[in-house]
Amino acid sequence: MKLLVSLALGGVILAGGAFAENAGDRAAGKKLAGQCRTCHGIDGKAQIPIAPHIGGEPADYIVHQLTAFRDGTRTHEMMTIVAKSLTDQQILDLAAWYSGNTISTTLTNDPADAPEVCVACHGVDGIALIPDAPNLAGETNIYIDTQLKAFRNGKRTQELMTPIAKELTDVDIRAVADWYSEVQIEIKMVE
Amino acid sequence: MKTLKLFAGLVMGTALCGPVAAQDNLDKLGNMQKTGATFTMIEQTGATADSLAAIIPHINVPKGFEVSLYAVVPDARSMAVAPQGTVVFVGTRKDKVWSVVDRDRNRVADQVMDFAPSITFDIPNGPCFSSDGFLYIAERNRVLQFPAAEFFFEGPDPAVGVVVKQGDLIPAEEESFNHTARVCRIGPDGKLYISLGQPHNIQPLDKLEMYDKIGMGGIIRMNTDGSGREVFTRGVRNSVGHDFNPANGDLWWTDNQTDGMGDDIPPGEINRQTAAGQHFGYPWLGGINTVIPDYKDVPRPEGVEFIPPAVEMQAHAADLGMSFYRGKSFPAEYQKGIFSAQHGSWNRTVPVGAQVMFTKVDDEGNAAGTEVFADGWLNKDTGEYRGRPMDIAFLPDGSMLVSDDFAGAIWRIAYAGEAAE
Repeated sequence: MKLLVSLALGGVILAGGAFAENAGDRAAGKKLAGQCRTCHGIDGKAQIPIAPHIGGEPADYIVHQLTAFRDGTRTHEMMTIVAKSLTDQQILDLAAWYSGNTISTTLTNDPADAPEVCVACHGVDGIALIPDAPNLAGETNIYIDTQLKAFRNGKRTQELMTPIAKELTDVDIRAVADWYSEVQIEIKMVE
Repeated sequence: MKTLKLFAGLVMGTALCGPVAAQDNLDKLGNMQKTGATFTMIEQTGATADSLAAIIPHINVPKGFEVSLYAVVPDARSMAVAPQGTVVFVGTRKDKVWSVVDRDRNRVADQVMDFAPSITFDIPNGPCFSSDGFLYIAERNRVLQFPAAEFFFEGPDPAVGVVVKQGDLIPAEEESFNHTARVCRIGPDGKLYISLGQPHNIQPLDKLEMYDKIGMGGIIRMNTDGSGREVFTRGVRNSVGHDFNPANGDLWWTDNQTDGMGDDIPPGEINRQTAAGQHFGYPWLGGINTVIPDYKDVPRPEGVEFIPPAVEMQAHAADLGMSFYRGKSFPAEYQKGIFSAQHGSWNRTVPVGAQVMFTKVDDEGNAAGTEVFADGWLNKDTGEYRGRPMDIAFLPDGSMLVSDDFAGAIWRIAYAGEAAE
């Protein structure tokens, strides 16, 4: 933690790919990502506010979420449909493609103000520090807000997030969402 | 709780308009007090404006019309032109409402800044005006009212009232981040009409009754003080555009249809509603007669007639904002008709949409033919979007504004040919 907190304001950290230990085929994933690009971008930088950035996302997290959308344990107006037809291998391929791109961040606020309850897993700058957590850097604040509320009301469940979200008020949630949404990001495609 | 101290610090640290302050702000603004919030200004010249201008040559319009960049507006969604015509208020699917000002009336905006920066907005997609100058903003789960917004927008602390308080538009647990972009209009009856999408591709059976009662997958109306709420339109999937026919008061609205059934079904819809409470068939039917498989064996509501759409549109083109043409400057053939925006598809094999459509409406109030009015925002060679038209509005001079939340722009389409008869 100390290491992260000592980052200078405006400092840049590189991440992404660090957790990519899976049997996915990146080339096959890139091809499949043609179905994802309209919303998530071919590099994983979201094209529309409702979609999260998934370039440089931990592979485990992508696999877990696509599987959850496919199985119906997580639902969304759009993702429920596109995940339905994916095979296990295709999910691994997509995860390999997107997680293998890199994301870098620039903080625009004082790192001392980062939400304490989140940083152990999601980092001060919103780059995940554990394999099954999403990057939050630069996401639309309403996306993060919506997910935290879904954890709080039980629509989405996860062993760590469910109890944390239950303790948060609407105002807390929006503060967390605003913090991470204000982090500037750059996603680079790695071929 | 450990986090509380932290959040207080966070608000102080970011200083501008922290959410803790924001809830207080709603109370403060109600009492006409100041909050200390500051504006975000959007640069109207420079690299962004230049790259937007480079899109213009790709846009095709009928002979005699001209396209220009009206304003650089990030995430621009539904628009409301203020009664005096000086300011256009523009919603987003994020946390801002923009005020777009053309003081010198040269038809290019000279100032774009956020409206009411003291308020913490949550998907303030839908602004609409009453004729006496009250601005309404329909958010994901709240509706606010701003008296004389056209005059108060220049200060960060405009007067505000709450029409529907946070959490009362829909049950909080039904909030999603997709079919939650509301639009609103004040009807000829003076009531406030608000669209409520249902938050699924196809709503599950166990939600059907609850949604129908609330008006999710419908359009509701209420008095402008929030009283007298009722479900005006039933059997809608997710409507993000409506307008009243000024000739006879009919409510017309677009509706986005089911995904995952293939590239070419079900057709998109433009609907015409002639009476309160009419049911338009969803989730049993998409378009005129495409059966939604999930509801094939579910009994239809007893004694209810399904009203078919007035126009079937191309499947998955995403018909969103629409407005009747009330101006005078367009040629006669366009007068009294409907202009509507197609946002473009998201998972269709070959992308479609991203264009402005025109639907003629005859003297009996029937749809009388639909055609493409403007296109070119979709690069058909690469399948990439240059922009995505979202809503249509008109300036007092009769020229058209097209909002585009992908490019982050408002385009203007004016008739430059010979004056209409």
